Amino acid sequence: MAVTTQLKTSKDLQELRLRLVKQREAKRIGISVCSGTGCRAHGSMELVEEFHRQLDAKGLTDVEVRATGCHGFCERGPLVVIFPQKIFYHGVKIKDVDNVIEKTIRKDELVESLLFKDPVSKAKFRLEHEVPFYAKQQRIVFRNNGKIDPAEIDDYIAADGYAALAKALSKLSPEEVIQQVQQSGLRGRGGGGFPTGKKWEICRSQDTEEKYIICNGDEGDPGAFMDRSIMEGDPHSVLEGMTIGAYAIGAAQGYIYVRGEYPLAVTNLSIAIEQSKSLGLLGDNILGSDFSFDVEIVRGAGAFVCGEETGLIASIQGDIGSPRQRPPYPAQSGLWGKPTNINNVETWANVPVIIDRGSDWFAAIGTERSKGTKVFSLVGKVQNTGLVEVPMGTTMREIVYEIGGGTQKKRKFKAVQTGGPSGGCIPESLLDLPVDFDKLQEAGAMMGSGGLIVMDERTCMVDVAKYFLAFLVDESCGKCTACREGVAQMHNILVRICQGDGRDGDVELLEKLGAYVKETSLCQLGGTAPNPVLSTIRYFRDEYETHIHGKKCRAGVCKALVSFAIDAEACNGCGLCKRNCPSEAVTGEKKQPHSIIAESCVQCGVCYEDCPFNAVIVE
Amino acid sequence: MLKLTIDGQQVEVEQGKTILDAAKLAGKEIPTLCHHPAVPPAGACRICVVEIVAGDRPGLVPACAYPAKDEMEIQTRSERVLESRRMTLQLLLARSPGSDVIRQMAKEHGIKELPFPEQTGENGDDCIMCGLCVRLCQQIIGASAICFDGRGPDRKVSTPYKSQSDVCLGCGACAFVCPTGAIDPADYCPNPIEKIPNEFNCGLDSRTPIHIPFPQAVPNKPFIDRENCIRFRTGGCGACETICPAGAIDYDMTDEFVEEEVGAIIVATGYEIMDPSIYEEYGYGRYPDVVTSLEFERMVSASGPTNGELTRPSNGKPPMSIAFLQCIGSRRETGGKPYCSKICCMYTAKHTILYKHKVHDGQAFVFFMDIRAGGKNYDQFVRRVVKEKQATYLRGRVSKVFPRGDKLVVRGADTLSGTQVEIAAEMVVLVAAMVPSSGVRELSQKLRVGYDEHGFLLEAHPKLRPVDTNTAGVFLAGACHSPKDIPESVAQAGAAASKALGLVCHTRLSREPTIGVVDESSCNGCFECEGVCAYGAIGPREIKDKKGNVLATVAFINEGLCQGCGACAATCRSKSIEVQGYRDDQLFAAINAIHR
Repeated sequence: MAVTTQLKTSKDLQELRLRLVKQREAKRIGISVCSGTGCRAHGSMELVEEFHRQLDAKGLTDVEVRATGCHGFCERGPLVVIFPQKIFYHGVKIKDVDNVIEKTIRKDELVESLLFKDPVSKAKFRLEHEVPFYAKQQRIVFRNNGKIDPAEIDDYIAADGYAALAKALSKLSPEEVIQQVQQSGLRGRGGGGFPTGKKWEICRSQDTEEKYIICNGDEGDPGAFMDRSIMEGDPHSVLEGMTIGAYAIGAAQGYIYVRGEYPLAVTNLSIAIEQSKSLGLLGDNILGSDFSFDVEIVRGAGAFVCGEETGLIASIQGDIGSPRQRPPYPAQSGLWGKPTNINNVETWANVPVIIDRGSDWFAAIGTERSKGTKVFSLVGKVQNTGLVEVPMGTTMREIVYEIGGGTQKKRKFKAVQTGGPSGGCIPESLLDLPVDFDKLQEAGAMMGSGGLIVMDERTCMVDVAKYFLAFLVDESCGKCTACREGVAQMHNILVRICQGDGRDGDVELLEKLGAYVKETSLCQLGGTAPNPVLSTIRYFRDEYETHIHGKKCRAGVCKALVSFAIDAEACNGCGLCKRNCPSEAVTGEKKQPHSIIAESCVQCGVCYEDCPFNAVIVE
Repeated sequence: MLKLTIDGQQVEVEQGKTILDAAKLAGKEIPTLCHHPAVPPAGACRICVVEIVAGDRPGLVPACAYPAKDEMEIQTRSERVLESRRMTLQLLLARSPGSDVIRQMAKEHGIKELPFPEQTGENGDDCIMCGLCVRLCQQIIGASAICFDGRGPDRKVSTPYKSQSDVCLGCGACAFVCPTGAIDPADYCPNPIEKIPNEFNCGLDSRTPIHIPFPQAVPNKPFIDRENCIRFRTGGCGACETICPAGAIDYDMTDEFVEEEVGAIIVATGYEIMDPSIYEEYGYGRYPDVVTSLEFERMVSASGPTNGELTRPSNGKPPMSIAFLQCIGSRRETGGKPYCSKICCMYTAKHTILYKHKVHDGQAFVFFMDIRAGGKNYDQFVRRVVKEKQATYLRGRVSKVFPRGDKLVVRGADTLSGTQVEIAAEMVVLVAAMVPSSGVRELSQKLRVGYDEHGFLLEAHPKLRPVDTNTAGVFLAGACHSPKDIPESVAQAGAAASKALGLVCHTRLSREPTIGVVDESSCNGCFECEGVCAYGAIGPREIKDKKGNVLATVAFINEGLCQGCGACAATCRSKSIEVQGYRDDQLFAAINAIHR
């Protein structure tokens, strides 16, 4: 950080910003290397070191290297973006660093091998916003990811960070702040979709001195990592949002509850808190005003149920992580029995931009009842895995095909699962549904926190239901009978079905239990647990019937119900399956049609996956 | 006040109350499992769900934990509620097939079969995870000895790290509040679980620290046994104060010592049953099925330890044969009491009738020496018992009681047939001697009332003054005087009461004039006389001058208490006391008259 003295007024902040911007202008080129968890696992931090080393060695002092937050195109990491042009390189390795410096940095030439190439058209794309993955995205929540170093508050301030806070403290009353948020139409991004401004108003109206702000960073859905990338990549956006919220509601203490499995998020948030405090942007007398607000990080310990607001509150209090009956709601009686406002990470990250650019600007994005953008984690059997931020109202088809690049290996699309273990599946027939809180609800699906799992013909929907139920059985807190016993019994039935012991009436029993668990559970873990089952029954009932009556799994997943065979006419005897089979279950002469010995086959599916001629079939 | 409509009926409750509170006021029954009035609600078991039809977000909510709201409309037995409740019970039954409570509840809701398999054998868990024990121990008792271990279907109630608890108080409250009896504190409490023996039930069952000693107690109000009460031991609990609707519990109350000046005292300290363990041949204290008559009386009482069901202490089953051994400890010249306890023949006959009421097919035997049935209709009563075969009466004493198999053999004599008999009885009742209440000797000494070698208080005259004592103003009634039953005790009590009234209803008392009188001019205040007065009639009297200064303290004889025995006169060294009518000069005059 350039400055360590406290900023006493908005003017101080403004002046600091101008100085920092000027400083950065001195650098001719910026190299942004993605340092999100995914790219780190691919060695991006070593890339950063290598860039530094080589630039020093080559004496290039007007080039800045920055380790930035998650860029989103996780499938293609490590990602490097060269500024100011925004040249996009993917899959960058240590051996490429020299090339990048010599060609692109020195001579403004492209390293062709690192450019994104469309798998179908084979066209190459030069700039980040041209790449199909990014072309249709509107990055508001991720405005700073890829541009700033999350461990450098100066970067954030130079990027207009904390301008919203300064505006709120100096120009707006708490009620006016709430009004702005209400008018923006912002709804909770954690899955509930409750109007954020309304929640703030209820909390503000409680007549007590002591109030709390909580940021829910538990992100328990399997396959969801949006909040992780926000906390890792732009922690100040969360802090600023929370501080503005605290000012609006009248709270003096905030907590960020980060799930225990996100150490980098905890690290970056801690650094951000410290740096904020030293600049007087957090803590006592923020920006010289009489408003004080402090933030503490609390780590989770591996419980999905602690993402439920009352379970989370219990966890912060040191009690066992079980939700409690509501009402009263946390806005009236929450942490330590005091009015508490809890919002999701992504919700908080939207707040500064609403205050800065105005509620009208925000409300112009999205649909009539779902404003702004939503970050999705697009994963599964899709070409372009990663984090996608689109305006509400974008269709599923656009996300899966135009941004996601469609299914892998030319397999047939089957469904996309939204909302994780609380959500439902959207089949091909509904792909033109716009992404919107209410439209998805009507279709029996749920936006949830933003997880999108793409499934193809090799996904068994009964197995998917079983997978989610197994997850929920493990994560249920066990307090109420409906969830603890009901979900377990539903899971038992699915296990039986997938083992070949499905019975007449099983589907009806699942529907009955599902309806019971939905309406009798104490919290929404149980309340939404039956969704994957009910949704897959609704759209893929035939798969259940086939499993139960036909005793077959056509997707080739449920091993007890699968037998693979080789289509003699399609097989050309290349022998790949024979070589790869782990249990020597394939026989055949070279260039002759091969066959599978049923007794030896363990249904691993390797032959099915690997056959270049699609000659292996599920019987 | 909030107005709710429950099943079409209007009811008003205070702000802060739950739907369950409102339903109770409206007289609507809602089943619960995880709810207890003294413990904060959790809404965990979901049995108590009701349907909100209007006035709040519609849906099923737990009545015990959902706050009542103005204008709410609730249905407690809609189809939706009943469907949900049935499914909850089916799930609980699958989890806890061995629990009687769940089985009963399921039966009441018409559940006959389960759509999913039961947890069998050892896997079946009577614990339904209601959490009452944990909430109670943490929030009410304040010991936090137990907690939840794990989550989901594998969640269990346990101690931290499943270790033996070093903070468990052994109060047993968790077991008390458990709806299915699934928790056993002995599993994790290294201290023996303290059960407080219920004194009124002869220790046959236990009681809580706060209790009404027996149903007929006067005043009929509970009191707190401080030695055992958790609140006084650790500062925790306080459940009684929380739950008392009258707000009548005050932990700061202390015992008061009350001083009253009275003119008459009636002693009615009653009796106890002798402890027959000294007669080792009968096995009391060794064999669980050998009990005393008082214990038997409590066992057959509807307010007793088994609510009136007669069961054998050894196995909890009704005794199909029972032997009553009369005169245990009574009428013995050596090794017991020489007197007849008077009431036992009659109450033993009563016991045989009660026994037959409880165990229709049982057989009763009574070993007796003589039958004492002298009161009004008493003899007819005993005859009826013998004649209607309620019991077989055997005249003879019992030499030994010993076990054989799971029964007890009573070996005694039948003098009428001249044989030794052995009865195999499933229960033996020792009809033990009546003795005065313990502590009566110390009380008597304070009251200066005499007692005999057995502790029975002495009447002034056995025929003519049966309720007076030799100490004026102290009267007797009931078994403290001698063994007697209820009609006689009541009669004696009435007599004692009239005598006491007779003392206090007059403004003047008349008495015999032969009382001691102190010559205050010669009394030097040594108070040797006070020490020898058996009736406590002598006390100090201060002589003061006009200004109130004490000039001298002399002996003073209370005219009402003095019995004229003359012990003080004989003891006084300064010859300052003389008994009226027996003054020295009067005695000399009498002596002189003889010599004339």
